Amino acid sequence: MRIAIAGKGGSGKTTIAGTLARSLARSGRPVLAIDADSNPNLATVLGLDPERSREIVDLPRDLLEKRTGEDGVTRSVFAADPDEIVAEYAVDAPDGIRMLVMGTIHHSGAG
Amino acid sequence: MCRAHATVRGLVGELVSREEGDRDLVIDMEAGLEHLSRGTGRHVSTFLAVMEPYFRSMETARRAVTLARELDIGRVEVVANKVRDPEDREAIASFCASHDLPLLTAVPYDDSLIRSERHGSAPIDWDRDAPAVKAIRDLASSLTA
Repeated sequence: MRIAIAGKGGSGKTTIAGTLARSLARSGRPVLAIDADSNPNLATVLGLDPERSREIVDLPRDLLEKRTGEDGVTRSVFAADPDEIVAEYAVDAPDGIRMLVMGTIHHSGAG
Repeated sequence: MCRAHATVRGLVGELVSREEGDRDLVIDMEAGLEHLSRGTGRHVSTFLAVMEPYFRSMETARRAVTLARELDIGRVEVVANKVRDPEDREAIASFCASHDLPLLTAVPYDDSLIRSERHGSAPIDWDRDAPAVKAIRDLASSLTA
């Protein structure tokens, strides 16, 4: 299952996303939680301890390459396998959850 | 649009589309709607729009549902949040009914969420039987049923 949780800022979407992830993980399902918000707060709701939170690193921008397809449309694609990216950049959260923070890429280079 | 944000959207879309599927993905999306019109959520199987019981929030959730439906996502539903009383419940229910929005569940307003945050604790660790936590646990069960 691939679940996206959207809503207005302050609507509580992060609380719902984090608690949903924990609930799924507790029922024995492997879970990858992705914080795609530019103001990332998912770590707290998932219950990462501050020590672990400090391990969260920015995703380097060169993870994406521009490629132009046969249809002439240029898209951004991963330069590496997603599993490698998860293995390298995801941090451990309670109940065996792996968490990736995308929003921190915001700080890694000029726009 | 800021290019850094465009990169984040590209990463999310790419990661989700190439995920092989033996684990659940739970994505806390960027607030707002712009990313949806650009297809960030395209590869998910379930899209939940969180809706608080006041007009601007309901309107944002309605637009999110409209955009998600255009992306051909299998399951697009509304989760009401911070519902305090029957009046809130009625506001959500009537808005959803009049705009043809599927309301999956209503998560109650819950002070324990504020207390858990103040103590730096996950809501589910602070009080797993708090009303809001219970509602979200039930939501997880219904999604996997």
